[in-house]
Amino acid sequence: MKLNSKFFVLIIVIVLLIPSYVFSAGNVPVYKFGIDAACPPWTWVEKGEVLGFDRELIDFICQEEGFEVEWTDIPWSTIISATSQGKIDILGGGLSFTFERAEIIDYARVHFKIGTHALARKDSTLTAENVFTNGNKIASQAGSTEYKWVQEELKDKGADIELVGYESWDDAISDLETGRIQAVVMNQPQAVAYSEKRDVKIVAEDLFVDLIAYAVTPGDPYNLIPKLERGIKKAYDSGLWAKLVEKYMPWSKVEEVPYPADLQQK
Amino acid sequence: MHIFSVILSELPQFLKGILIAIKLAAGLLTFGFILGMTMAMLEVFGNKIISKITSFIRKLLWGIPQIILLLLVFYLPFDMNPMIAAIIALGLCSSAFQSQIFRGAILSIDPGQIEAAKAMGLKSWKILLYIILPQIMILSVGPWTNEFSSEIKDTSLAYVVGLIEIMRQARYIITYTYGNSLAIFFFAGLIYFVLTKIGNTIFFKIEDLLWVPGFEKRRE
Repeated sequence: MKLNSKFFVLIIVIVLLIPSYVFSAGNVPVYKFGIDAACPPWTWVEKGEVLGFDRELIDFICQEEGFEVEWTDIPWSTIISATSQGKIDILGGGLSFTFERAEIIDYARVHFKIGTHALARKDSTLTAENVFTNGNKIASQAGSTEYKWVQEELKDKGADIELVGYESWDDAISDLETGRIQAVVMNQPQAVAYSEKRDVKIVAEDLFVDLIAYAVTPGDPYNLIPKLERGIKKAYDSGLWAKLVEKYMPWSKVEEVPYPADLQQK
Repeated sequence: MHIFSVILSELPQFLKGILIAIKLAAGLLTFGFILGMTMAMLEVFGNKIISKITSFIRKLLWGIPQIILLLLVFYLPFDMNPMIAAIIALGLCSSAFQSQIFRGAILSIDPGQIEAAKAMGLKSWKILLYIILPQIMILSVGPWTNEFSSEIKDTSLAYVVGLIEIMRQARYIITYTYGNSLAIFFFAGLIYFVLTKIGNTIFFKIEDLLWVPGFEKRRE
């Protein structure tokens, strides 16, 4: 008798558990959204929650287009090859468009244009004219378009500088403050934020324009690019876009997005 | 100070990171244990060819940096859970070190014991189970504790495959507070110190429990 009742209890428990496995799968597709989660204002993590411009925009697009995302944090230096290999499905969090990257990942249309600034220590006498001379150590995040710009447009063209790569922007700013390096070339949103919160100032502005776009695995196997572009357009039309720009990048202009595709043509 | 209140409010996240680090350490040490013990046995008791092959594999795993193995395993052309990838990669590295510990332990057992056991008619697997393995356990605990201490800290490399462990958690806070690297990294270091100390205490207790008269004691 005892065995029987225990047996039935076990069966009931298993039967009750089955729906949780079946229904937790859900009928909404879930894609891995890759970010280097320490990249404000696009994304950052506070108390375990992903916050930022991309978080709010993607939440809106998911709602409109009927899918969900799983936020996956991978360091910037390997995130692009992770996307091209399909380890993550959508790449965002401040990803810039470049023609080289477009050969290994598929981009959606550009949705943001940001400038690039050079930062120096607050007490520095460097100016836009002399910051890239005199053997100064110029730093940037390894693998970023800023790093590539310093390499190709300055160092390779004969500028008298030393280029230093860092895994994270914060390490570069810390070294800038202690005087180990003379300048950091950084995207505008973060440059503005650091100039307000740390002992650094902007000495050169608008070095080049960076185009920000989302990207997916080559071949777009889940047909995500149309969904992302549609979602961005809906965000603009509904006024959400203007609100997000005001909240996260108030110095930026609100322009109609996504930008035309010819911006990404050679 | 502001940063202390931030660290306090982020303690639940650090706890999650600690749990991930412990899970990863347990997984990789177990994987390394099984593989390491196998490699040690093959290298000592296997025939010339097997012994040479195992020795070569061990030296290969010894020489590849952990971060490269992590990326190699993660970028294999099939879908892999980051935790599994990290356990396999770091476990492979650990197995090389652990096999050396076990190999040293096996070689320090007096061959006379094995000859005596054979003379008494014990089968090979019984000799392994009743004479060799117990002694390996006692002899290995000390050096193995070093390996444990080392691997707990190596879990910090797992951020490259997307695991949110202690170091990555620290980075998050540094990013959204735009600084305080020193205080936060110091706190992260403290966490690793506490984890290592707790682990070492447990293994010293195990060593005491396993000790049998006739073996050297690490401490009085």
